[in-house]
Amino acid sequence: MSETIELSTPDGTESERAVRLIDCDVHAQPTPPMLMPYLSTRARRYVERYGRRAPSEPHTYPRVRGGGVRLDAWPDKPGHWPGSDPEKLCSQLLDEWDVDYAVLEALTSLDCYDQPEVAVEFARATNDWVAEEWLDFDDRLRAAIVVPHDYAELAVAEIERRATDPRFVAVLMPGSAQEQLGSRRYWPVYEAASARRLPIAFHTGGFMRHHGAGPPSSYLAYHANISCVMQSQLASMVASGMFAALPNVRVILTECGVSWVTSLRWSLDAAWELMGADHPQLERRPSEYIRDHVWFTTQPFEEPADPTHLLYAIEQAQLADRLLFATDYPHWDFDSPAQALPRAMSPELRSAILYGNALDLFGFPPFRSEPTPDQAP
Amino acid sequence: MIDCDVHCAPASIDALTPYLSDYWRQYIEGAAVHLHGLVLAYPPGAPTSASDRARGFPAPAVPASYDALKERVLDETDADLVVLNCLTALEAHRNPYYAAALATAVNDWVRDEFLERDERLRASIAVSIAAPEDAVAEIERRAEDPRYVQVLLPVRSELPWGHRSNHPIFAAAARHDLAVGLHAWGRPGQAPTPSGFTTTYLEDYVANQTIAQSQLISLVCEGVFDSHPDLRVVLIECGFAWLAPLLWRFEKDWKSIWREVPWVKQPPSEYVYRHFRATTAPAHLPRDQHAIRQLVEMVDVGRLLAYASDYPHDHGDGLSLLLAELDDEGRGAVLSTNAAELYGRATPGRSATAR
Repeated sequence: MSETIELSTPDGTESERAVRLIDCDVHAQPTPPMLMPYLSTRARRYVERYGRRAPSEPHTYPRVRGGGVRLDAWPDKPGHWPGSDPEKLCSQLLDEWDVDYAVLEALTSLDCYDQPEVAVEFARATNDWVAEEWLDFDDRLRAAIVVPHDYAELAVAEIERRATDPRFVAVLMPGSAQEQLGSRRYWPVYEAASARRLPIAFHTGGFMRHHGAGPPSSYLAYHANISCVMQSQLASMVASGMFAALPNVRVILTECGVSWVTSLRWSLDAAWELMGADHPQLERRPSEYIRDHVWFTTQPFEEPADPTHLLYAIEQAQLADRLLFATDYPHWDFDSPAQALPRAMSPELRSAILYGNALDLFGFPPFRSEPTPDQAP
Repeated sequence: MIDCDVHCAPASIDALTPYLSDYWRQYIEGAAVHLHGLVLAYPPGAPTSASDRARGFPAPAVPASYDALKERVLDETDADLVVLNCLTALEAHRNPYYAAALATAVNDWVRDEFLERDERLRASIAVSIAAPEDAVAEIERRAEDPRYVQVLLPVRSELPWGHRSNHPIFAAAARHDLAVGLHAWGRPGQAPTPSGFTTTYLEDYVANQTIAQSQLISLVCEGVFDSHPDLRVVLIECGFAWLAPLLWRFEKDWKSIWREVPWVKQPPSEYVYRHFRATTAPAHLPRDQHAIRQLVEMVDVGRLLAYASDYPHDHGDGLSLLLAELDDEGRGAVLSTNAAELYGRATPGRSATAR
């Protein structure tokens, strides 16, 4: 645990500290053997014999150097990889940066093509693993619920199973799936999440086999393209009427950039002015739905040569209370809490992004009790 | 003044059959091949497919003859030159031989129906999008005719345009000092967006602007401009307000991942402003001059944009909002000089700056 924690006061009352930093995109990532004990015998045997299904061979995509992770995030323990060891993550991320809360997003089911019986077991196993190995380990950790999203009724059941545990604070969805994310196929998942007051975190990745311009040839093109995928997904969510039909839905677009939403709002609004009368599912301007329903994590935050331009983007898209700080630990493009936000940013905006907006969205208490010695591992 | 995007299209396949061989005439008759007028891209009833003024004339809204073009566009315009973009070759189906024959017929028809009849007219070269070697052959066939100023490709493609299998197209364009235009819409039969198949026209319409971003990334990443330092690419009917955030991200990525693409020797924004231009339609902008002033600060529109009426399509009145925030020099660049430089071979006595 942290070297800097204050121990409980002699009379036994816990000291409290004001929350100053919330990391909204952190990856706890089990190695394949880690989930096996959480699977049924049948599912385990299936996966051991056949593996999991994916839409194409695992090496179809241009490769990223170093597996896409920080090289210093590899635990010294055998059988681990970056994001699989709670001790390493808590010391390297939470202690080093004094993070008050971190939202774990385990990316084990963003690709979801297994038969339903296997898909639901993987989601459940991941959530069990996260709860037992992580949430029980450190009370600064929270998590998004992993769901077998392509099977809506199974996803809803998994949401209901977890929603009684307040440490699960969001529902995790992919940024790309076989159908567009505005599709009614997914609405029951969104409805179940919003009924439980859980935001839905759409995390970059998943299917990623749709390409308006064809598949990218390099990791650079792939990575620069990620914002394009989410632009198109947000257009789908708006145009489908999902936000109008499910007025309590709160969406977090995760790891896809931020500033692009300005021009998307402009073009959707312009299209709506021309064609809105023929799209009765859009009762209001598209930008109003986006304004009311959509949050963004910052990482990888855009870096204009002139940092004031980033402030323009935040102003133009009304994002001051919609941005959630994220590091994306342990991935290679980690945004440092000390450096990711430009100095041109006002202290108020900086505080809102680093913790204020997340406190409001997730309903975390603004003060956190310091752990007592016997809570420390 | 140059109008960089005016549409024309044959009203039916009958206009093209004189330019097709007996084989294709029999094929067309036997299989009842017809032109569908790009009904998914431009549904005739959609408000975006034709302006109110264009709807005042008999259908089809896209001029199908010189007389229609003259009455609807040429007699009204202040433009000294008009670049015709006939999108009919995008209707080619999966037969690559048909795609090549159709493109040739389209170019012959545009030449005879329009270019021969008015000195103000220039045109893009329609090419097969089924096989790069056929596209190159068509470029070679037209290159000696200075009235062709550009190679026309759809912004939607099966492989990104920067993919090396497409490089011969860019090499041919560069060899003949032709611009390459990436025009909205394109290849059907696969998901048209990076998120999948769309259920509304509205998404499809807006997606052109997203897909243009992917093509820009592809062309820079795969070194097309390093191979062809004078090449110009024009994004037509794909918007431009998205450029600044894209470059902020792209450039941040490049600083980290450049080892993967060592042939990309400069920051992406340098390639973009040197090699890319975008037409002014659609200018999807808010009725908020403060926001537009900020946009003008972030995107060098005086360098990037070239005017297009995009007749007969209608994208709203954003261009007037934008022009109101430009000084005389910026307005002149957008309305006139940028296009003159872009299509240098179109204007006798002027040469492209890239030369």
